[in-house]
This record gives sequence, C-alpha cells and structure tokens, in this order.
Amino acid sequence: MSPRLVKSEAVVEGRTEERWSLVEDDHTPEYPDGPSPAPIGVAAQRLTAHARLTGSARYTSDIQLPGMLQAAILRSPFANARLTAIDAAAARAVPGVRAVLTPADGFAPGGSAVLTDAPAYAGAPVAAVAADDRDALAAGLAALAPEYEELPFVAGIDEALGRQDFTADPSEYERGDPDAGMREAAASVSLELRAPAQMHNCMESHCAVAAWQGDELTTWISTQGMFAIQAELADAFDLDLERVRVICEYMGGGFGSKDQAGAEGLLAAGLARITSRPVSVVLSRREENLDAGYRAPAQFTLEVGAAADGTLTAIDASAVIGMGRGGWTPPALEPVKSVYRCANVRAAVLPVRQNIGSPRAFRAPGVMEGVWALENAIDELAAALDIDPLELRRRNHADGDQATGRPYSSKNLLACYDRAAELAGWADRDSLKADGGRIRRGMGCASQIWWGGGGPPAYAEARIGKDGRPVLSVGMQDLGTGTITACAIIAAERLGVPVEDVRVHAGDTRLAGHGPFSGGSMTLASMAPAVRAAAHEVREQLLALASDRFEIAAGDLTLEEGEIRSVDGTLREPLTEVTGKLANAWIRGGGSRGPNPSGIAVNTFGCQIAQVAVDTVTGMVTVERVVAVHDVGRIVNPMGARSQVMGGILQGIGFALTEERVVDPTTGTSVNPGLEDYKVPTIADLPEVVCEFVNVPDPRLPTGVRGLGEPPIVPTAGAIGNALAQALGVRLHEAPYTPRRVLEALGG
Amino acid sequence: MSVRVEVNSQEHVVDVPEEWTLAALLRDRLGLTGTKVACGEGTCGSCTVVLDGRPVLSCLTLAAAVDGAAVRTVEDGSPLLERLREAFTETDGFQCGFCTPGQLMSALALLERDPSPGRAEIIAAMSGNLCRCGAYEGIRQAVERAAGATA
Amino acid sequence: MRAFAYIRPASADEASAALRTGSARPMGGGTDLLTQLDRGIRPADSVVDLRGLGLDDIAPHEDGLAIGATVRVADLARDAAVAGGYAALASAASAAASPQLREMGTVGGNLCQQPRCWYFRHPDLQCWLRGGDTCYAQIGDHRKHGLEPGDCISVAPSDLSAPLLAMGARIETSERAAFPIAELYRRPSEDDRTTLTLGPGEFVTRVLLPAPPESSAYARAGERHAWSFALAGVAAARSGGVVSLAAIGVSNIPRLLDPEDPLAGLPGLEMTGWKRRLLAGLVDDALNAL
Repeated sequence: MSPRLVKSEAVVEGRTEERWSLVEDDHTPEYPDGPSPAPIGVAAQRLTAHARLTGSARYTSDIQLPGMLQAAILRSPFANARLTAIDAAAARAVPGVRAVLTPADGFAPGGSAVLTDAPAYAGAPVAAVAADDRDALAAGLAALAPEYEELPFVAGIDEALGRQDFTADPSEYERGDPDAGMREAAASVSLELRAPAQMHNCMESHCAVAAWQGDELTTWISTQGMFAIQAELADAFDLDLERVRVICEYMGGGFGSKDQAGAEGLLAAGLARITSRPVSVVLSRREENLDAGYRAPAQFTLEVGAAADGTLTAIDASAVIGMGRGGWTPPALEPVKSVYRCANVRAAVLPVRQNIGSPRAFRAPGVMEGVWALENAIDELAAALDIDPLELRRRNHADGDQATGRPYSSKNLLACYDRAAELAGWADRDSLKADGGRIRRGMGCASQIWWGGGGPPAYAEARIGKDGRPVLSVGMQDLGTGTITACAIIAAERLGVPVEDVRVHAGDTRLAGHGPFSGGSMTLASMAPAVRAAAHEVREQLLALASDRFEIAAGDLTLEEGEIRSVDGTLREPLTEVTGKLANAWIRGGGSRGPNPSGIAVNTFGCQIAQVAVDTVTGMVTVERVVAVHDVGRIVNPMGARSQVMGGILQGIGFALTEERVVDPTTGTSVNPGLEDYKVPTIADLPEVVCEFVNVPDPRLPTGVRGLGEPPIVPTAGAIGNALAQALGVRLHEAPYTPRRVLEALGG
Repeated sequence: MSVRVEVNSQEHVVDVPEEWTLAALLRDRLGLTGTKVACGEGTCGSCTVVLDGRPVLSCLTLAAAVDGAAVRTVEDGSPLLERLREAFTETDGFQCGFCTPGQLMSALALLERDPSPGRAEIIAAMSGNLCRCGAYEGIRQAVERAAGATA
Repeated sequence: MRAFAYIRPASADEASAALRTGSARPMGGGTDLLTQLDRGIRPADSVVDLRGLGLDDIAPHEDGLAIGATVRVADLARDAAVAGGYAALASAASAAASPQLREMGTVGGNLCQQPRCWYFRHPDLQCWLRGGDTCYAQIGDHRKHGLEPGDCISVAPSDLSAPLLAMGARIETSERAAFPIAELYRRPSEDDRTTLTLGPGEFVTRVLLPAPPESSAYARAGERHAWSFALAGVAAARSGGVVSLAAIGVSNIPRLLDPEDPLAGLPGLEMTGWKRRLLAGLVDDALNAL
C-alpha cells in the first residue's frame, strides 16, 4: 500500500499548526469496546527503574568524554547595560583555557548572536570560556574582568505597560456583544488578580555536551524535543540534518523549559568546533533561574456577568503579561473563551516588554494561570448569585468549542464534577467552616481544560528476534513522565508478552523516525497509535509464522503471556518456539501516527476540589486534601497516570502557596534565583490526594488516548484560591498565598 | 591534598585540590556520577550521601574533610538500599530520577538510625530532598514499605 | 569555588593561630561558610575546620549542661538531656534548616551564621553589611526583613539563639571566659559591619546552659511546612516564676522581648507590618505552651 500525504491540524499549547503528514495505511484494529485489554490499564512499574535507582542512568551532565572541556557562560549582572570592556586576551592567557568567545567574535550560529555587548537583562550571556577543568574555567572567567555602563531598565509590569512597549501586538478577541451581555446581567463581579512568575526549577539544569567528528556533530542535551534541537543545530551550523545526532537518554525534568538548544547547546557545539575537543556546558542553579525561562507573570482584570439563574451573559477580560525580552505569548485568556458557555466574550492580551530574561512554556502555559483567574471570578459570581459554586459551573457547561463552533471529540466534564463532589464531600463543605478559631477551613473547586489530542508525525519501529523479546524504537525522549513504560504497555498488549519483556530504545535521533516534542500533553496521544501499529504488524507476522509452524490457521491463534496459543486451548507453546527458528533474522513492523479527524476539537477536561486549613497565627496555608477527577481518554498505565496527577497538583500547590520570583525594583535583578528563597513544595507540603479518571476512551482518536501531562496542574491553584476564600471569608487577589499575604488579608 | 576515603566499602586514596567538594571527588575523580548536583549550594538535597552514618550534602562537604571517613552513595550494594530500590519501584517513588539518589540516601540514613520510623519521622527526615516532579507520595510510601520490611 | 587552603588544627591554640593568618575563617559544618565563599561574600584564603578540637560533647556542667561548639545541630535535637530539660532548645534544633543541614551544621556555626538577607547573599551586590554604601533591602524588597529601622534591616537567623537567650545561656570562646549569649551579638555599625562580637582568631568553644527552666517552648513560622529558615521564632522560658521571651527574625540581633509589651521597639517597616501580627501570635503560642 502506498503512503498518502495529508494535511492535518494539530493543536500544540493553543497554537493550531497545519502540517503535511505522510500517513501509511493502518490496518490495526481498534481496541474492543469495554474495558481496555490487559496490560492496558493495569498498573505497571517503570522500565527505567533500575537505571534511575542505581545511579547507572547517564544524564547529560554525567557524560564524560576523553579530552572533554568544561565551558561556562559569563553573564551580565545588570538588568540593562552596555559592555564597555572585556579582556579576552587575559582569559586566553590563563593556563588551561582553550577557547574564549566574546561579542567581538561574532558567534552567531544561524544568524542570531548568542553573546551580546548590550545585555538587556540580568543573566544575559556576554562571553564564554572553555577550559581543561573547572579551576582553569573559573580563573578564565575571572580574567575577563568585564566593565559595563549601566543603563535604565524596566522591571515592573505596571511600568512596562505604562510605556506601551509590547513584545507582540496586543490582541483582542471578541464574540457576541460583551457590553450588552454585561448590561443584561442580574449580577456581575469585577476582579483584579496577579499571578507570579513561576520558575521551572527542573532538578537537572539545562546542559549540553557536544562533540564533532569531522563535520558530524553529536550533542547530548537535556531536551524535550530532540528532533527540534537537531533541526536547530543543523540550521545553526549549516549541516545536513543527518550530520547532527541528538541524544537525550535520561533527563531530569523539563516542564516546558527545555524546548530549544539555548545558549548552552549552541555554545557547547561552537566551542567544541573551535577547540576540536568535546565540550560540556552545565548551567548553575542561579543561571537556570535567570536565563532558562519561567511561567510569565500576569495581571488579570476580569468582569463576569450572569442572569439570576446563573447563565453567564458576558465575560470581559484582559491580561497584561510580563514577557521579559519576549517570546511566545502564552494563551492566558484561552480559559475565558472556552471553559464555560458564554455568548459574549471579550479577551484582550497585552504582552509587555521588560528587562528580564524571556519566559518559556511551563506546564499548561497561560491556561493554568488563566483558569486560576477565571475560577476566582466564577466563585465570586456564585457568591453574588447565591448559587452553589459547583452548580454554577454545571449550569454553564460548554458543549462544544465556542471559538470555532466545533464539537468536542469527547467530553465528560459533568461526570467529573459529580464524582469529585462525591469524593470530596462537597455537599457538606459549609460544615468545614470553622468556629472562628485559630484554624479555619474551606473547600473550593475549579474546572480543567487543556488540549492533548496529539497528532502526526510520530513513528515507531518494533522488531522481535530469536530471543522472543520485542524491541521498540521510538523517536521520542522521556522527561521522566513514564512515556517509555506506556509505549511498552501498548506494544505488550499486541504481542502478548509481559510489559517488562519489552525493551524500548528512545532518546536518540538515530534510532527511529521523527517523534513528537514532549510537551503540550502530546507525547502519548501521538506515539500510542504508532507503537500499536508497529507492534500489530509484528503480531500479524508472528501469527503467520506460527500458523506455518503449528499448522493451525493464523486466525485461530493468539499471543498471550509470552505464549502462542490456539483459541481452542489445545496449543500452548512459548513464543520462542517460533522466534527461536529465526536465527539472526528479525520480524519487523513499523507504525506511524495518522491525523485526527477534522472538524472536531480535542480537549481534556477535569475538576479538582481542594480542602485547605489556614493557621491564622502563622498565616500558613495547608492543603489538606485534593480530589482530582480528570477526563483524558483511555488510561494506559494507572500508576504512571496517578504520578502525573500528583506532580501537577504539587506544582499547582507551589504556584498557589510558595513560588514567586522576586525582582528587585532598584537593580532589576532577581533576588531569589536559588532554591533557598524560591520555595518549591517539600514532602511535608504533600496533601492527601484522591485521584480518579473518567476512563472513557476518546471515540474519535486512534487508541482513544489523550494527553495527561498538563491537565492536573490546570485547576489546582484555582481550587486552592477558592477554598482559601471560603476559609477566610476574604479573597486574596495575588498568588502565591504566603503567610505574609494571608496575615495582611487578616488585617496584619 | 591526599584524601583516604572509603566509598561503598572500597578504600580510595585520592589527590584533590583543597577547595574541592565531596561531590566533585565522587563524580570527577571516582566516576561515581550517580550522585547528582542540582543546586550546588545545599538547598535541594540531590547530592545527599551517607557520611559515617549521617545524610550530608556532598556539594557542601569539603573532600579534604572526609579523610578517614566512610561514604555511601546510590551506587552502594547494601541489602537495605536494595530493599529501598524495590520499594521505590513498587510505589512509583520517582519520575525523572534526578533527585532520586539523594532521596535514597536520606532514606537509607533514616532507616539505619531508626528501622521503624513513623510517618511524621519519615516526612521530617525526607523534607530536605526536593523533588520537582512531585513524587513525594510514592517516596513516603516507599520508605514506609522498606521500613515495614525491615522491622 | 575560589581556591583556599583547608586547615584542620588539633588544638584550640593552633586554631587561634591559624585564624589570625591572612583572611582565614573558622568552619564548623561549613554549610554557611562555603556558600558565602562561592558567592564572594567575605572571601577567605583559608578555612579552619574546628571539628578536630574535641568540642563535640554535651556534658553536665554545674547545674546545667555544656554544649561543645561543634556538636551537630541534629545531635542536639536528639539529645535526651536537652530534650528533658530544655524543650525550647530541642524544638529549635529540630526545626532549623533541613535535615541534612542539621546533620552537618554545628551549634557554633548555627549561632554565628550570617543573615539570610537576599541582598546580603546576592553575588553581584555589595550591600551595606558587606561594606558597601547601600542597604538594598530598605529601598527594595524587604518583605521578609526586620521590624526595626536601622542601617541594615536584615534579621538574626539562628533558631538556637532564641531559646538560649531566653534561658540565660552563656558562651565560652577561645579568648573569653563565659559571658551572656546576648554579648555574642551586636548591631552592625558604620565602622564595623559585623553582627558578631568575635575578635580576630576568636571562635565559640562551648555553650553553657544554666539549670533547666521550669518550662520552655519555641514557636516558629516558616514559609512552607519544612525546610525553611524562620520568618520569625519566639522562645519562652519560665524560671523561678519569671518568664523570659526572646525572638529571632525581627531584628539584627536575637532580641529579648518584654512579656508585657513584646512588640515594643518593633514598629515594622513598609513591607513588614505583617510580621508584627506574626510575632504577637508566636509570643502567645510560646507562652501558652509553657
């Protein structure tokens, strides 16, 4: 059968991308109706456990190559400055220093300068040094002795807005007649809310190792998108794609921030070329927090009106987003357009420029903070209308995507509300409200929306040899989310082998065809159909060979528990009875991801309910319990899925309670670019979590799988904010809800 | 300077600069890269190793100061650590795995000091090990499980 | 990390001599010192490790206890005599910093740690306390700083110092016989930008606790449920019917509070008014726990 070239749409973090995709015929039967066939849906341990728990997993910063140099970046200490002097010669004269790059060298792979003599934010790369070891490196950096002329800077969002200096044109979305809708409202609320800059702080900082062999470049890099890095490096160094190999076997988290080669990747490659030695660049925690992205802070203004029965009549929203030096503007007002049914909506986004590094996508970028803002307003509205907050949400359920008019492929949000309410004891929430004593409790809810439909291109190859153990090669990387294990589960089902018998090769551009960027909750929804198709092709061949071997019709044979069995139960032979005859031959199968059906919107949904306790003496907020019910299609690995939910909730708790970059107004530099003063949750901040899924496979998607990376972080902070408002009887308009803000709200 | 140190029951004599850290000694001199440096300033716990029975931060421990000491790292093969590995696997007590060597070392030191800690003791002992993926529930359960198996 | 020499003296005299050489600095657990050196805060050409001096005992002393300066904070927290007689101190020792920092950090180091001010610890800023012209906190973001106006508005960070002050502990150093712990601390001044009274070559050797109080308690608030330097901490001790109160996190020095008017002299600054409410609450907590 010949492949076809089809045009399809994929939604990545709110960006609709039109792509041409090569699609192969896929004769893989869909899963049967009803419960997923095992091991799909059965809790499976991670295949990476041994490597990650013995220290044998090699992360990028563990790569040690013969002759490898250490390199580091000199960064501007000023928010805005001009470099007036730098002593490259002195640095080059330091024993052990092998290369020095300053702005004068014009290092601009791909046409954009990596080093600048006009640093416009604290942490901007100014120079780079490569040296034999860390001591020589430190001496080389010190010898550069840069001098700067300081320039005025803009740090605050308000000041940036006042200057009307935008990183992209302000946008205004409008549907219906918001002004008329607001006039006909029986009740309306108006809120201003401030969301902090949340730092990713992946435990593994951004890092890269580069080595050249002739004009071939191999780069080990901690990345969520090895093929994107391959293309970026090929373009930067003017190489054929196949001359660039990118490897990311194990990585220590990304959360959206590892989406580009970055200064570290470009400099590693550039310095390695100059020195003809492998070069390693590992960012410090401080650099990580100054120049590797963050969730863009936002100031929301929301006005929401409703009829007396709760029907929304208008939403009028604006978001001023602190974009630092610029970049992709996150869809912070997408939730305002899509979470609830409302005919009249205005949503204005103003991305302002500051003398701060650029934001990058951070788990549900825009949407998480946008939902936080919207859900605060919806709860205020519920109070104004005297309607139960969850009931108000039910009454404004959106049946389809209102911006495009398309139906959802699958939506079970109402079931999420019902189940979450039951699990949380929502009906009794008012009885939590305390007696006015020291500890006050509250319960709040929030809805979740995100995309996560996946799409092409994604390729997988499966093979099986004489040992009867399937090998899967996939063009993706595993951030730590567990997609490798999930792929093994998908393949194991088709091949009738234990999950742990499937070996998965990933994290290397040479291994397999293109795979998805690990972001936007795209990975598994993209990979699963390709893996299933590849494994199915192997299965068909195995059954055909077994038919020859045992003289039973292939249709009467099946693969189960590592055995070839006849449907009538008379034959039970190990798989190796067939594969053992292969000698050094392989049975191979390939699979690719086809496009999603057109004319539909694919989204994920859910509801979380948080219960908090506030200590009115210390101002400390404790999240005691979170109930999370999400509708993300078919669940492949319940254990891994639960872990994703736990992770999202904890990062949501961080946003809500402790995480906040603080930029000094006097100098424009961050005063908490480390984990002492930038506080992420600890094990002591872990709440009880009750997690369930509406395990309904998406009927419109191949394999019925949607993404789960982003969804769990989306509603957490909003639910906590609403719970806190119930507990205190007053709403906090700025996150995180630190002891200071709580005590100030209490009249401290 | 010359440092004599026992690492995972193996004796080493290593020559290191006096300002070097134990983390650098382990990773750069002995090639034991299982120990991870995630912050380098004593705030995250990723580099935790067990030094003479104490969980310590190898990024803030001078290599020179461990002369004569016994160090255990994630590469150790002791039965208790193996039991912890099994428990972490069973409870999904890790995701990306970068903080995990430190988590295992804090757990190991705890269980060696107190074979049957209560939940509050476990949370207190593990609270210096940050996990950005948020695997804390599995981590807590894993330590409880390993403690149960020990007791 | 800047290059420096590592010196591990075997006697107090050797240690004093080593500390008088060049820009040597004393080291206990090193957890604060090494981060300072990495950031260029008060650089040193040598560090003098005090852990070889035999100062790692907790022993009976007169009616009370003598605690060696290099006793680990974690061992202090676990010590039965301390827990039995000095509940506030055991509580402070088990709440300070993180588990690993408590295992590494020493009693002397905890008492002598530098302020946690995010400007003081900024590698690119030379604040007033580090000899510069500007207290960046006063004109910048001082949400976590003190309640007292002054040239420097950073706060005393040592959890252990509050109960020791409230319980009337005394300090012995390599140069001085026992003196009240309050005299270990000073407000930094224009011509001496330090918060400790230790002279050249001088280091803390022992902390002497008087007879156990009838009752003591420590109340503390952090930014999250564990591993947070204190936003504020209040220790209360009752001896012979007299109640003493001491606080950290509100002033340059660990500060005794008047039980009748604990907020006296602590007006709060533009961004720290909330801490007055916090302090009042912690005072109540500590007193109620007596």
